[in-house]
Amino acid sequence: MRLIGRRLGVYALTAWVAITVNFFLPHFMPGNPIQTLIGKLQNNVTVSEIRSIRLSFGGGLHDGLVQQYFTYLNQLLHGNLGYSITLSASVSSILKSHILWTVGLIGVATVLSFFFGTVMGAILGWTRGSRFDSAIPAATFFQSVPYFFLGTVILMVFALNLHWFPESGPYSLNVVPSWSWAFVWSVIRYGELPVITIVLSSVAGWMLGMRNMMITMVAEDFVLMSVAMGLPRRKVMYAAARNAILPSIANLSLAIGLVVSGALLVELVFNYPGVGDLLLNAVLNEDYPLIQGIFLVITLSVLAANLLADLAYLALDPRTRTEAVQ
Amino acid sequence: MARSPKVIVGLVITGFFALMTVFGPYLAPYDPNDTSFAPNLHPSVQHWFGTTSLGQDILSQTLVGARATMVVAVVAGLVATMLSIVVGVSAGYIGGYTDDSLSMLSNVFLAIPGLPLLIVIDSYLPATSRSNALVIGIIIAFTGWAWGARVLRAQTMSLRNRDFVEASRIIGESKRRIMFNDVVPNLLPVLASSFLFTILYSIGAYVTLAYIGLTSSSVWNWGTMLFWASQNDAPLANQWYWFVPPGLCIALVGTGLALLNFGIDEFINPRLREAGLSARQRRRMGLERRPRLGLTPVVRDVESPVTRVPRSVAS
Amino acid sequence: MTTDAVAAAAEVPVMETTPTAEPAEDRPARWILDVRGFSVDYGYGDQAVRAVDRVDLHLDRSTVLGVAGESGSGKSTLVYGLTRLLRAPGVITGGQALFNRGDDEHPDVIDLTTADEKELRSVRWSEISVVLQSALNALNPVVRVGSVFDEILSTHRRTLNKSQRRARAVELLTLVGLNEDRLMRYPHELSGGQRQRIMIALALALEPKLIIMDEPTTALDVVTQREIISELFTLRAHFGFAMIFITHDLSLLVQLADEIVVMYAGRLVERASARALFSAPRHPYTLGLLNSFPPMHGAHAELNGIPGSPPDLSQPPSGCSFHPRCPYAMPRCSIDVPELRGLDEGSRSVACWLHSEGGVAAPVELSRRVGADRASTDQSGSVRP
Repeated sequence: MRLIGRRLGVYALTAWVAITVNFFLPHFMPGNPIQTLIGKLQNNVTVSEIRSIRLSFGGGLHDGLVQQYFTYLNQLLHGNLGYSITLSASVSSILKSHILWTVGLIGVATVLSFFFGTVMGAILGWTRGSRFDSAIPAATFFQSVPYFFLGTVILMVFALNLHWFPESGPYSLNVVPSWSWAFVWSVIRYGELPVITIVLSSVAGWMLGMRNMMITMVAEDFVLMSVAMGLPRRKVMYAAARNAILPSIANLSLAIGLVVSGALLVELVFNYPGVGDLLLNAVLNEDYPLIQGIFLVITLSVLAANLLADLAYLALDPRTRTEAVQ
Repeated sequence: MARSPKVIVGLVITGFFALMTVFGPYLAPYDPNDTSFAPNLHPSVQHWFGTTSLGQDILSQTLVGARATMVVAVVAGLVATMLSIVVGVSAGYIGGYTDDSLSMLSNVFLAIPGLPLLIVIDSYLPATSRSNALVIGIIIAFTGWAWGARVLRAQTMSLRNRDFVEASRIIGESKRRIMFNDVVPNLLPVLASSFLFTILYSIGAYVTLAYIGLTSSSVWNWGTMLFWASQNDAPLANQWYWFVPPGLCIALVGTGLALLNFGIDEFINPRLREAGLSARQRRRMGLERRPRLGLTPVVRDVESPVTRVPRSVAS
Repeated sequence: MTTDAVAAAAEVPVMETTPTAEPAEDRPARWILDVRGFSVDYGYGDQAVRAVDRVDLHLDRSTVLGVAGESGSGKSTLVYGLTRLLRAPGVITGGQALFNRGDDEHPDVIDLTTADEKELRSVRWSEISVVLQSALNALNPVVRVGSVFDEILSTHRRTLNKSQRRARAVELLTLVGLNEDRLMRYPHELSGGQRQRIMIALALALEPKLIIMDEPTTALDVVTQREIISELFTLRAHFGFAMIFITHDLSLLVQLADEIVVMYAGRLVERASARALFSAPRHPYTLGLLNSFPPMHGAHAELNGIPGSPPDLSQPPSGCSFHPRCPYAMPRCSIDVPELRGLDEGSRSVACWLHSEGGVAAPVELSRRVGADRASTDQSGSVRP
């Protein structure tokens, strides 16, 4: 239990750091971006909109820095993530419609990638020295390919040339969002290429990590004991894999960060209406409130996922729960 | 270090790109900015990689682009590794409150997703700074040092308690001497691995930033090439020769570094080395399958190694 | 330290076994393990290292064989090789290992070196079980102790239901003196001694004919060591299983072993009944090992180790592998390899040139009568060279 408390503490601290960084960057970067921004918009927006924009950064010109900081925090607590310049709406309302696509994409892709990666890694580690080992250089290569590049290549080959998959968007233009089977199927169909891209780019990491741990586990005494006990082979392999998977779960937090980053770019390639697309347009248009808001939401989601991973680890490794006898 | 084929291939690839970094701009046949050529040409003898829709030679861009990409990545790698040494080794060796606070710091930076943070910071940079390789390198390092710090801390902690370090401490060696003579040499493999991994990360980060358009578009690097390619809808026009060369270069450099890292991994963890008999040896001995646990192979009629030692006539 | 004195203290008769040289089929079927010419290499071709060289062993039902030697002598390699549990790059390069899994009336012999996986699985744990050191990773760290018992019983005793399996597990724990609540624990929550008792309980689960113990007490403190050895002794007397006990500590074998073989650099250098070995060693290495431990009774003697260290098996010394460290080495010892030869009408054997041709070259301390008191020899002559 103490462990969960500590992890929660770290995550709370991280969230606080992210929020604070978010606040301080525009105030301290050279060139006074906030003033410049408002100056640029002077004629195109209403006064109330200007006020909303200012609030995104922490309030009025006359307040001191500390005061602005607390206003900023206060706004966040009330769910106000700021006001987007380019889209003329509150950031939270914009995000609401987009976040679901991103979460769905990343969620499905991560689960599939983790599953395939660890299973293949376990097999590779167990059957070391067999013909399966040729998968390793291929996996290494795919791991080094930037997500967006792989996505572009896949898009060109499989969608644009071979026409096996649709080219862009989350679902066909012919269907209407609803809970009908046609819609769901369309979503799946249109999601295939983006998910495949993300899975291909990230699976190697899981695979290689699991393989290395599996090899280490197979060298342990308890695996030899299982064989000596006359247990069927798959039970022995399972015992080794059950131990080997633990570091992969511990590293989930780092991996999630990388997958999220990659997924944002894949969305761009396939015109997926998720948060990535939004973020990149915001960057091109220097829509700082939107950028900040998205950064915060992404960070908090990643932290939540990390917490889940930590809980899973605690559940799976009994050594964390009780003190070892010396 | 084991001369496994993986390491050798990794060295060859990395060496090749190191050469490209140094000599690329001299070897480029044309100026990468030169738009005087016919646009959208497929690969030909005059233009090995074809031309862009603005009429620029892609091969020249690729060769010149190597330098910026690799230099920024190496700078970022160095800065990040230095940061991770300072934080990680201090935390691991000194322990106590120093360790607690430094660990907290690295955990925080590990938890924040790297690319979004990078995007946020970079978007606030004034345009002039964006062409400065050092500045970009530093902010990339800022987001990528935490993993190395954690690994170094773990390794330092395990070394601190080893017998030979204990022995030095008992003899009365100064802390600095212990750190430099005992701890650091044993950290080198882990350090090397961490350095390579950070370079890998930095290449990806830099290229991604360039792809989004957050770096100066006047500096040629592989990511900028991909940026322009996507801006001009190259995939739709089937202009594979525009984005495949830079993308492939990135992938190959990454693969080379990853293979080197494998070699270092195997050095650190001997169990990962090709233990036992290789496939070739097994075939020679007449064993068909790979060795399975619990089924020690039996090969008879093998000449006893003992008899090869010179022996006089038995009594 | 004589076996007579110890035996008197323990009030248990000391068994003398009489291994013969008859072929297995002609012998009365009281045997369970018969090993001939067993050899194991590590690696292949030019890099091959012979770790075990043409070892013969014989084990009768319910007897205890001690395998003694320093680290690197090949004792573990030998025993794991016999049961085909040796890891890569180990390769068995010769010999046979016959195991009788039937009983005296209906022998059922298989050759472990030629058995396939199915046959090996049929004897593993139900006929032959293993006890390793009490390391934390000898048991699966993420499962409870109880589920290991459950796994074994459900694999080998299909007819038992869950509660019967649990009852059997509790029964086994009681045998080794542990409370049934240990079943709910994870390995890291147990002390080294408790883990070792669990391993012993697991080894007994299917009432095997043979239990192999590989340095089972090395990682434990001295007090726990002696406790467990005593418990093993009692259990063996009660259940009648045979045991192969691998150790570098000869003193542990005093109470437990019927016959002892001593290994050096992959070869057997001496084989004798426990009583004969302790009271009248024949090989210089055995003498060195015995002198490494303080006698339990009798006058204080100076402790010796054996100078030097075990040889590098990839470059073994010429002739007898022990000659560089042997205080009695003769010129012949560096030239010719001594073979294991019978002494005293074959009741024991030794591989040493000191004992060839009637043993005229053997010094006094290596020619004592079996059963002679070592303490009296201390007074008459020096025990060590």
